Amino acid sequence: MEKQSLPFSQKLFRALVRVLPFDFRTNYEGEMEGVFREQQRELEERGGFLEALKLWKETIVGIFSTAPREHWQILTSDCGYAFRMMRKNPGFTALAILTLALGIGANTSIFSVVHSVLLKSLPYPQANQLIFIRQQEKKLGIEDLSFSVKEIEDYRAQNRTLSGLVEYHGMSFTLFGHGDPERVRTGVVSANYFDLFGVKPLLGRTFLSDDDKPDAPPVLVLSYEYWKNDFGSDPEIVGKTFELNDKVHTVVGVLPAVPQYPNENDVYMPTSACPFRSGKAHLENRDMRMMEVFGRLKPGVTVTQANADVSTIAARLKAAYPKSYPNSVGFAASASPLQEELTSKARPTLLLLLAAAAFVLLIACANVANLTLSRMAKRERELAVRSALGAGRSRLLRQLLTESFLMAFAGGMLGLLLAYGSLQLLTDFVGRLSPRAREIHIDSQVLLFALAAALGTSIVFGTLSALFSRANVASSLKDGTSGAGSGRRQNRMRDALIVCQIAFSFVLLIGAGLMIRSLIKIQQVDAGIVPQRVLAMRTTFNWSKYTGSDKTAVVIQKLLDRVQSEPGVLSAAISSRYPFEPEMIPEWFSNTFQIEGRDLEPGQAPPVSTFASVSPDYFKTLGIPLKAGRLLAETDKGEAPHVVIINETAKRQFWPNEDPLGKRVSTDAGEHWVTVVGVVGDVREFGLDHPPSPEFYASQGQNAQPSTLIVRTIGEPRSMARALTRAVHDVDPQTAVTRILTLEQARYESMASPRVTASLLGIFAGLALVIAAAGIGGIMSLMVSQRIREIGIRIALGARPSSILQMVLGQGLLLAVMGIGIGIVGAVTLTGLVKSLLFEVPPTDILTFSGVGLTLLAAAAIASYLPARRAASVDPNIALRAD
Amino acid sequence: MPKKRETQSFLPLTPAMFHILLALADGEKHGYAILKEVARRTANKVRLSAGTLYGNLSRLESAGLIAESSRRPEVVLDDERRRYYLLTEFGREVAVAEAERMEEALGQARSKKLFRKPKLA
Repeated sequence: MEKQSLPFSQKLFRALVRVLPFDFRTNYEGEMEGVFREQQRELEERGGFLEALKLWKETIVGIFSTAPREHWQILTSDCGYAFRMMRKNPGFTALAILTLALGIGANTSIFSVVHSVLLKSLPYPQANQLIFIRQQEKKLGIEDLSFSVKEIEDYRAQNRTLSGLVEYHGMSFTLFGHGDPERVRTGVVSANYFDLFGVKPLLGRTFLSDDDKPDAPPVLVLSYEYWKNDFGSDPEIVGKTFELNDKVHTVVGVLPAVPQYPNENDVYMPTSACPFRSGKAHLENRDMRMMEVFGRLKPGVTVTQANADVSTIAARLKAAYPKSYPNSVGFAASASPLQEELTSKARPTLLLLLAAAAFVLLIACANVANLTLSRMAKRERELAVRSALGAGRSRLLRQLLTESFLMAFAGGMLGLLLAYGSLQLLTDFVGRLSPRAREIHIDSQVLLFALAAALGTSIVFGTLSALFSRANVASSLKDGTSGAGSGRRQNRMRDALIVCQIAFSFVLLIGAGLMIRSLIKIQQVDAGIVPQRVLAMRTTFNWSKYTGSDKTAVVIQKLLDRVQSEPGVLSAAISSRYPFEPEMIPEWFSNTFQIEGRDLEPGQAPPVSTFASVSPDYFKTLGIPLKAGRLLAETDKGEAPHVVIINETAKRQFWPNEDPLGKRVSTDAGEHWVTVVGVVGDVREFGLDHPPSPEFYASQGQNAQPSTLIVRTIGEPRSMARALTRAVHDVDPQTAVTRILTLEQARYESMASPRVTASLLGIFAGLALVIAAAGIGGIMSLMVSQRIREIGIRIALGARPSSILQMVLGQGLLLAVMGIGIGIVGAVTLTGLVKSLLFEVPPTDILTFSGVGLTLLAAAAIASYLPARRAASVDPNIALRAD
Repeated sequence: MPKKRETQSFLPLTPAMFHILLALADGEKHGYAILKEVARRTANKVRLSAGTLYGNLSRLESAGLIAESSRRPEVVLDDERRRYYLLTEFGREVAVAEAERMEEALGQARSKKLFRKPKLA
């Protein structure tokens, strides 16, 4: 009633007063209102608009200058109190801070990766306009077909949605004129490539359209890293010349330190300078594809519109050149945002890890809330006394929240250190999944995230503990112990928190278990080769010196003879690639072909296989067994009838019921035919988790592609690396030798991604297990302390220690079983998410589920055992005397 | 009893605090009376608002310079919503120390002839 008749000025005053702390208001609000009323009354008597204004001004200034001081005073006193409490309980404090640090640290480090790789836009102006265009041969399962020069010209001329379209392909060339011949990773790009991305040079200039004209003087742009590391950031670099591909190239510019997509390169050159790209074959043949294509959307155009645009062009090409795009291959083209393209491979793994890290933080929160609740049980008297001395309920809540925030903040700081320490490891890991890995760092947003995580964490566990302690305050003072009813409620809350921790741990352990099982399965796969004591090294010849196939064949033979004469070499081979070679994907080596005498039905897709070119001893060197026919021979060269060896998968797939030996195939629509002369065992060429695809091995003597030297040694292969490099240089000093790897290393590296995923998940799950086990131990221990009198009575009445032991153990195990039950439901629901990352392991793998269940039970049993033993050895005399 | 060092730690007092202590020096008062007394004594030069007054009362109370009085006026005169404040012994010491500090400063100003003419109130 009174409220309704309250004048506006009083209402306004009340509203203003709300900025003051709750306790202050409780103490003084009534009086302040009284004073203000008196002042108003006086004003009415005296009157005067200016006086009224003055009063309001003074009132507002007074309240707003008092509020921050009051809040600050409470904060400092709460912090001081909290620090004293923390110092008084160093064990609890350290455990809580460490638990939180692990949870916040795990989240911060994974978030720094997700933020840098998935969330942040690419570091180019209007990066959302950048798109990646791909061609596909859907019916052949080829999702990423490169582009030919002719195709690029067509897309450039016909599109209506792009403000620019550029091409890229990566090459390895040998650079002379700067110490030893050096293999440089070279990006061959359109003249407007850097303009399209919006990259401005650090020194000199990037390419001009004149640089791209045939016969333009060859020019180079250096990457920032190459300029810095190999030329010591030479400020006079622009204008210097180097020899590549028998031509003198002039450096015209240096790029700034920007991430390079799609690959990191040492130097860039315009398309006209690449001897392959500017060769007649590439310029005129629509089917000679090796380029990748990027575009920039016109302002206001969406990716969907661009997608429709390139699809239309692809359909037009199909209609215009049916020979290049037969219906049977399912030719199509599409456009997608560049950012999505660069991160799609990393996305599922990173999101999985982020979810796992969030689980760890939840478990940490539950655990600290539980620790705090247990401590509350001891602090109830203290809180009750404070309450009785006049501390309001919200005052106590504020106090508890301050305490929890301080601990979470300390945990957050420590977590940040952990995240910082793990950054390099994560960068290496993500480097295998996305070219954006180098952008990973801890920036202000990651710091904000850590702070938010700390704040969120403190609110969660602070509120939980405050809510459940408040109920007890009144009763604690009355009976001198924890109030029976609310004590039970607290215990139930603690049990629920433990059950949650176990359930979350179960889900995490299942995730880690599945990944580990999957990794073990991958490692058990027979690769089809004998990788021990084999060394592979990339040999990049000076292309311009070996123009014809014959010249190349001669130098290959010379090289093999020289290497084989080296003591310690068992056998040696030259090939276009080798099993587990880093960064190789089957699409690059896939080709369609036709089998002699087999015509395709209209619309039927032609057979596809991957192709490699190898020297005769390739199979012997790698230990690939011959299954039928013969291997390649020295005589399979030059004008001799062209031959090919196939693997067993190719035999099964293309000649299931007949002998493939003597059959002929053609990759150029019947112009040339090669004869199948042998069948060898299957090899997991592109990684252990990649099932063998049909493979054709052509002879280096007839199809020279000398990219790699492979050597089987008698002793430790790495110790031969120097002698072998010397041997290569003896044959041709202009050959660059790089990426020297043993095949075992290559095999190990090829499993890096599943291994690191399994390791990280394993670490998270291990953390969760330890935290949950510590939680069970703590709760059981508290339970024993709370029920010490009851246990004493039981023993006094004749209960055997073993039955007491059983009782406590049983309670611990009951909590574990409940947690596991909920965990099973959660895991079955969630493991579908990891399905794509698993190798030959079902997401509901019985072995993993039962193994994890037993592990958790064992952990719970061990954690409950100590408190159980303490309970069993209780002396009833002492227990009954205890308060 | 508070030590001298503690007394000194409060100095100098803010004008508002000093005037509140002065107002309570001759007996206990409720908030509005303090406000009125300060305004009257300073010829309205020091005007306390409700916020400033109670912010200062709160700080003075928690520092032990003033306390809430348990004595109330006669029932007919009493407004139960009001609380009465009194100057504690320690509060008196602090007020005296502040006055002495001011006097000393005043003396020094006088010796440097930084005074126009002593005015009688």
